[in-house]
Amino acid sequence: MALSRQQLVDTIGGLSLFADLTPTQLEQVAHRLAEESYPAGQRILRQGFTGTGFYVILEGEVAIRIDGEERARLGKGDFFGEMSVLLGEPPVADVVALRQLHVLHLGGPELEGFLREHPAVMLRMLRTVALRLRNASRWRS
Amino acid sequence: MAELADRPFPPGDYPVVVVGSGPGGLQASYFLRRLGIAHAVISADERPGGMFRRFPFFQRLLSWTKPYAPAPRDDRWYEWYDWNSLLADEPQNRSIMAELMDGSSSFPSRPEMELNLSTFAHRTGVSVRYGCTWRGTRRDEDRFVLETTDGDYRCQVAIFAVGVAQPWKPETPGFEHVPHYAETRDAAEYAGRKLFIVGKENSAFELATGLLPWAQRIVLASPRPAKLSVNLHSLAGVRARYIQPVEDEVLGGGVFIINASIDRIDRSAGGYRVRCLRSDGGGELNVDADEVIAATGWTCPLNDLSELGVSVFGRSLLPSMTNYWQSASVPGIYFAGTIGQGVAGMKKYGMPANSGAVHGARYNARVMVEHLAETHFGVARHQPVVEPERIVEMLLQAATRSPELWNQKSYLCRAVALDPSSGSRDLGVMPLADFVDREGVAAVAIAVETDDSGDIHPAVYVRPANRPAVETLLESDPLHDFRTPANRAQMASLLKEATSGAIR
Amino acid sequence: MPITSQQKSEALSRLPLFAGISEESLRRLSEAAGEQEFGPGEFIVRQGQLGSGLYVILEGEASVLRGSTELARLGPGEFFGEMAVLDQQPRMASVRAESQTRCLAIASWDLLRQLEEDSALALNLIHGLVARIRAFGESHRH
Repeated sequence: MALSRQQLVDTIGGLSLFADLTPTQLEQVAHRLAEESYPAGQRILRQGFTGTGFYVILEGEVAIRIDGEERARLGKGDFFGEMSVLLGEPPVADVVALRQLHVLHLGGPELEGFLREHPAVMLRMLRTVALRLRNASRWRS
Repeated sequence: MAELADRPFPPGDYPVVVVGSGPGGLQASYFLRRLGIAHAVISADERPGGMFRRFPFFQRLLSWTKPYAPAPRDDRWYEWYDWNSLLADEPQNRSIMAELMDGSSSFPSRPEMELNLSTFAHRTGVSVRYGCTWRGTRRDEDRFVLETTDGDYRCQVAIFAVGVAQPWKPETPGFEHVPHYAETRDAAEYAGRKLFIVGKENSAFELATGLLPWAQRIVLASPRPAKLSVNLHSLAGVRARYIQPVEDEVLGGGVFIINASIDRIDRSAGGYRVRCLRSDGGGELNVDADEVIAATGWTCPLNDLSELGVSVFGRSLLPSMTNYWQSASVPGIYFAGTIGQGVAGMKKYGMPANSGAVHGARYNARVMVEHLAETHFGVARHQPVVEPERIVEMLLQAATRSPELWNQKSYLCRAVALDPSSGSRDLGVMPLADFVDREGVAAVAIAVETDDSGDIHPAVYVRPANRPAVETLLESDPLHDFRTPANRAQMASLLKEATSGAIR
Repeated sequence: MPITSQQKSEALSRLPLFAGISEESLRRLSEAAGEQEFGPGEFIVRQGQLGSGLYVILEGEASVLRGSTELARLGPGEFFGEMAVLDQQPRMASVRAESQTRCLAIASWDLLRQLEEDSALALNLIHGLVARIRAFGESHRH
């Protein structure tokens, strides 16, 4: 899926993570994050590997797998990779493309700076992370 | 008609057709021939060189070739110090760039680079049908048909090495009046002018550096702050050669580097008015300029391939590819040269590989050709048996000296299959992402990696049979000789674990 | 004797959650924070209730309970209740004082306003949450 610059900005603006941003800020996000494409079957995050990044799904679907067992699926607008980057620890799960995947990517070392520049994105992320924590604790109980 | 008859590769049916005569096309053709795969090479140009026939605009490259390096020129290790020569198996055809440089810089001039490429084609006998323009593509049962100005070429496999070469400008109002980097005029024509450059990539800084002695004022603007290669530990940043404008801006010397998006560009009496929106929330900023240049990048000229089903992504319209640079949506279509940067690989710490440059793409070409030769034409890869006691030394040697691992960090690896029954086999060089995600026989691979502190070290990936690979980082060495006692011991114990797992 | 705003500010600034946040944020949060004390066995928050704030333990020890199962023990410097602030859902667990426990409580609206204004605070909170998710995952696996 190839998007024109304006289509990309519009697409990003339609994702909940970036919903509070102004058009100028969306333009910055489009510049700051790199578009990448991965074939079906490829792992984007790998359990135990260092140097990971932060990803936002533009198109496609991924499975989150721990020791080969599927735990969840993520689709358009969902993001992943922030846990490992923020904790400075390798992922405890694999994230695998289930079909052709189109993502926005930000290198790990850039994530904190990016969030500080965009507090509205951080707050959105905070709420999603809180929701994940709630779900994680439900699995446990 | 005599002239036409002398041109190689008339229209017809070929196992493989390569489109392009830049470094990517020449390198792919060279390896196809080494593997005995008949193919045609066609190019719209009149001579070899691709983009290097015109660019960089200021006539000097960003990629080093060091005539006097720690490695001898006939050793493959030398390729790490020579980023511009194409690869050849015959020692006399290697390191051609180093022979042709005049000593004024370790970065070759554009004409020197062009000569390097034509010399390679001449010496290795890579021939091209020049002046043959690829117009369109269609399918005919199991063949692709490439329609050209000379007629139809039918093939089983097509390799497009057409560069990321089409100037791209944003749709923002006013850009239609503004020249692209590719349309920059002679430097002297900017004498005394107020210049506005859109962009902060290397091409923008190249223009700023080259026009520094001419323009009276230079403004560079884009939403994202400029990043320098020395800080990023990666060639993705602005290179040291182009840092002068940064110093001038820091000292207040008439260069301004602004973080802002361009809202619109209007013509004014004497030139342009650029309306910027500052990224720091500082609001609107109007800049008057005599000249504006859009250093905003390039796209892939993929013609009508999308109608064939080739999916593309991103601003540069790069094709979506497998780890072997094959179209993810249309098998049989491959890409060589700078287009290969669309395969992201591991991108550890956000650092891209060098697939967008000759020194990365030339290795991708070899891996790609070996792969397509095997999968489409049944040419088995040579996988010599390795004595078990030699594996550790061989892999640490590869990490210390193999140019493909140094040029394509965290991207290409050297792998060995560990089979206790039939013996261990050297799998050669392959994409790291493919190695770690493909489950199969027990295997081990080594790569060279850089982390966010800039430390360069080997990484070992042990893949037990039918299980995913496990990463282990080895220690660095102040002189980058990774054959240390600690690394030998650690690798030996990793291999022991892997093979004992395989037996279980 | 109730603690002063200055003492609250000092107490908060020592917590990882509030490390590196701006002076201004710290001042506002200290002014907004109320001190509460709980005796042994007393519930600080109850599972299923709508939460209205974040609690930071200054002194004492508390247990995190789901039903009658104890999930964790919290001590000085640890915080809880942030989830209900963020998603405005009922409390996921109860927290009961196990000894005489002194807390600072910050109301949801005060915390949310500060999160919007101070990115360092939001980042600290994300760090805290992802660490907990990771901890949940680990305990789930082993």
